[in-house]
Amino acid sequence: MSGPVAAGRRTFLKAGAAGLVFSTVAGAPALAAGGRSRRRAYVLVVDGCRPDEIDSGLTPNLAALRDGGLRFPQASSMPVMETIPNHVMMMTGLRPDRTGVPANSVYDRDLGEVRDLDRPSDIRCGTLLGRLNRRGLTTGTVLSKTYLYGVFGDRATHRWEPSPTLPVSEHAPDAVTIDAAITMLEELDPNLMFVNLGDIDRFGHADLTGTTLRVARRLALADTDLQVQRFLDALTAQGLWEHSMVIVLADHSMDWSTPDRLIGLTGPLAADPLLAGRVRIADNGGADLLYWTGPAAQRAEAIERMRTVARAQEGVLAAYPRTAPWLRLGPEAGDVVVFCRAGWRFSDPDPMANPIPGNHGHPATRSIPFFIGGGHADVPRRATSSRVARTIDVAPTVAGFFGAGAPRGGYDGRNLL
Amino acid sequence: MLIAAGACLGARSVVLGGVTTLDRRTLLATGTAGAATLAVAAHLDGPATAAGPTASERAGRGVFRHGVASGDPLPDAVLVWTRVTPTAASLPGSGRGPRVEVRWELATDPGFRRVVRRGTFQTGPSRDHTVKVDVTGLAPATWYHYRFRYDGVLSPVGRARTAPATDASPDHLRFGVVSCANLQAGWFSAYRGLAERDDLHAVLHLGDYLYEYGPGQYGYGIDDRDIRPHQPAHEMVTLADYRQRHAQYKEDPDLQALHAKYPWIVTWDDHEVANDAYRDGGENHDPDRGEGDFHLRRARAHRAYDEWMPVRLDGTARLRDGDRLFRRLRFGRLAEISMLDLRSYRDQQVASPLPSPVPAPEAGVSDPDRTITGRQQLDWLKGSLSRGRAQWKIIGNPVMIAPVDFGALPQDLVDPVNDVTGLLPRDGLPYNVDQWDGYTDDRREVFAHLRDHQVSDALFVTGDIHSGWACELPYDASTYPVGDSAGVEFVCSSVTSNNLKDITGTPPHTTSTAVEETIKANNRHIKYLNFDDHGFSVLDVTPLRAQMDWYVIGDRADRDTPITWSVSYATRTGTGRVEQVQEPV
Repeated sequence: MSGPVAAGRRTFLKAGAAGLVFSTVAGAPALAAGGRSRRRAYVLVVDGCRPDEIDSGLTPNLAALRDGGLRFPQASSMPVMETIPNHVMMMTGLRPDRTGVPANSVYDRDLGEVRDLDRPSDIRCGTLLGRLNRRGLTTGTVLSKTYLYGVFGDRATHRWEPSPTLPVSEHAPDAVTIDAAITMLEELDPNLMFVNLGDIDRFGHADLTGTTLRVARRLALADTDLQVQRFLDALTAQGLWEHSMVIVLADHSMDWSTPDRLIGLTGPLAADPLLAGRVRIADNGGADLLYWTGPAAQRAEAIERMRTVARAQEGVLAAYPRTAPWLRLGPEAGDVVVFCRAGWRFSDPDPMANPIPGNHGHPATRSIPFFIGGGHADVPRRATSSRVARTIDVAPTVAGFFGAGAPRGGYDGRNLL
Repeated sequence: MLIAAGACLGARSVVLGGVTTLDRRTLLATGTAGAATLAVAAHLDGPATAAGPTASERAGRGVFRHGVASGDPLPDAVLVWTRVTPTAASLPGSGRGPRVEVRWELATDPGFRRVVRRGTFQTGPSRDHTVKVDVTGLAPATWYHYRFRYDGVLSPVGRARTAPATDASPDHLRFGVVSCANLQAGWFSAYRGLAERDDLHAVLHLGDYLYEYGPGQYGYGIDDRDIRPHQPAHEMVTLADYRQRHAQYKEDPDLQALHAKYPWIVTWDDHEVANDAYRDGGENHDPDRGEGDFHLRRARAHRAYDEWMPVRLDGTARLRDGDRLFRRLRFGRLAEISMLDLRSYRDQQVASPLPSPVPAPEAGVSDPDRTITGRQQLDWLKGSLSRGRAQWKIIGNPVMIAPVDFGALPQDLVDPVNDVTGLLPRDGLPYNVDQWDGYTDDRREVFAHLRDHQVSDALFVTGDIHSGWACELPYDASTYPVGDSAGVEFVCSSVTSNNLKDITGTPPHTTSTAVEETIKANNRHIKYLNFDDHGFSVLDVTPLRAQMDWYVIGDRADRDTPITWSVSYATRTGTGRVEQVQEPV
């Protein structure tokens, strides 16, 4: 078991027989429960879950929590429909042009390489975690994926380091993640806990039967449902349910493609005289981000050329200039954003680059489950709202629950309660 | 439409070993196939605006004999309609009679103590003495009462409800759903049934509001008996014909009651012009039999429709400013209704060497150059089916969109074969090429759009086919239920127009049951099918689910026939699936 990423002003807590490793901000009331408020908020992200899967019969506990609370059938991930940007949007309430995190994978112009946005410094704005901490409330992150653990850095009062993680997927199984969440609940009891459960997403990515039977996916759904119920039971056992608001949502959904439905933009872009050797691609599965690296004077012409070339490829849904106002992605997203159709995926720079059948990032993966349960009196009972709920609405909703204010410039999302 | 008979007769030839060749008359016969204060009110009493009979004399002959109607509710507006008969000679379609001024008023109470809008409207023979007012400046989600006054005579009082505010979140919406009302085939008891309810917000009419045939051409049952013969006593072709036919229908008491009770949201199908109409013609249009140019005929039909129906064509209540019928009506965040026009822009139906009951093997149904919507309307429809709009995207759909096919192969197999041969319909052999099944490329584009953008809660509400259906909308019907559904389709039965048992002359639940089971066995996405009954439906929409209740009537020939609840199906939000529920709303 390795220690936390950043040491320095921190104390370490080894909790539980499983050897779970937590780090806690120095000076924080590490073992004192919940700061100055009895309110508790839990944001549980069932990573990659589709909203219809809650009705599949495989997730009775999630369905019961949804049906007993406030449900948003029209819920949406935000572009680019990837894990890191949407988790950042949840904890900031801001769009990527303000967070600096538009996708999982970007081309870093300073480094001259494509990389994941997994560094604490990648978030260029304040977060809900910091805002609550400054109000004397405590926060905790239990994030199953190493890059999420990375990007949120030391922003939470208490952090669990995801371990053990599975090879390739680089995530901790949900059973382990929920062990950590329950341990944090029992021993640290933060006011806000932010939990990512990665199994549904990871098994979905790898599910070779995704276009048909979704065997692996179904197994993950059933197990994750049980794990969530374990956490809910722990809330009750700890006497926290009546003080709790539990937000359950996904960061994006999932779409599957067969090996014959790959889109490669590397070749077509290289075949264009203007673009050859002057475009870098950050492949995000269902979305390719294109970066012009040639002379600035030719950028406008190059953007139009990139869009034309991309749209000519079978399986491409749309190619937008990154500056399209509705995208609000910021310069980190490059110059052109290309989305694929349902049932397709990008594989750049070559056909072997993206072998996984399950992908997201494109509009076909926008719909997400989103519901609010819990025993606190502020949580509506057995209600359904036709309002559109988005990942950026989590932060203002939680902030409103705790009576915390908005960041400078206001939220891009809104309080759903 | 051409083929409900198709399905019916196709199955009939299989089940009964019967009909294999049909002449035009048979197709027609097979029907589905072929196709403010009392003081203010007193103030409105003024001197007669035209010389002639006294007010009491005019009232006795029915100045407002065609009733009142309302339609196309918006959050701040609703359209109100009537027709006046100011003189004995001012008969519909006559082109006779004076120009007159009709007063109208709209109040929040049935006693007209609180009148909130009033005005005058000039009408005359140029518009067949119809009155059509787009009343604006109203409050959302509010019941209003309206009436007209001419020469001291008051019209019946109608009522209309405005739509909820765009950003409102109503807990439910409830609509009556009807289509296919052939006056010759019986009494409009279905309209009576809806008019007796007090729980609706509006009525959706999905087309075939009236029929073009003359007496004896298309009536009740296999013998085409005319319960009430059409006027004029011939197929409507001229502007006067269309006006007179509209007038005859508007004199029906059940139709009048339902128009007065609720605002209507309407679209046309084919019979408002002629059977199996398409962009440049129709099965029941023959220039060589003196019916003239089709486009001229259609223009006359559309003009009469604009005059006589409570609908905004081209977005206005004005006449002759365009005949675009497809439009959206928003009901808060909960629902938006997009009404389609699937006749004015479509290509001609594919020709098949076999009669319509027989599944059509023509690959032409999948020709991407053929359209049922037209490019502009298809792009507009895709806009309606977009994220960020209202939760339930309700499509008022004149003809069925669910695939009803036989022998469909998985798309992954068909496409490579067609790359070489181009011989196979991409979605199997359709039984009715007058529906979206005859224009599969348009359907594929709509379904692909829904899938590409992960749009949920698309709900097609359909008429035309003289039968009740509840269907899921699979992306690939051949492999379904493996794979996802693009949405749901609920189809209402006909008000009176012949269904399967009528055209076969067989008892209910005999021939039809066999056909229904055959179709469902070949189309696993079809969960409910009723070829036996006439009636109406009630569509109730909440944030949690949309439910359709089917009500059936007894004998169409019996004006007082009983009305009973038959069955209900619902779709839960986000599922694209249907399930039977045990009781109506």
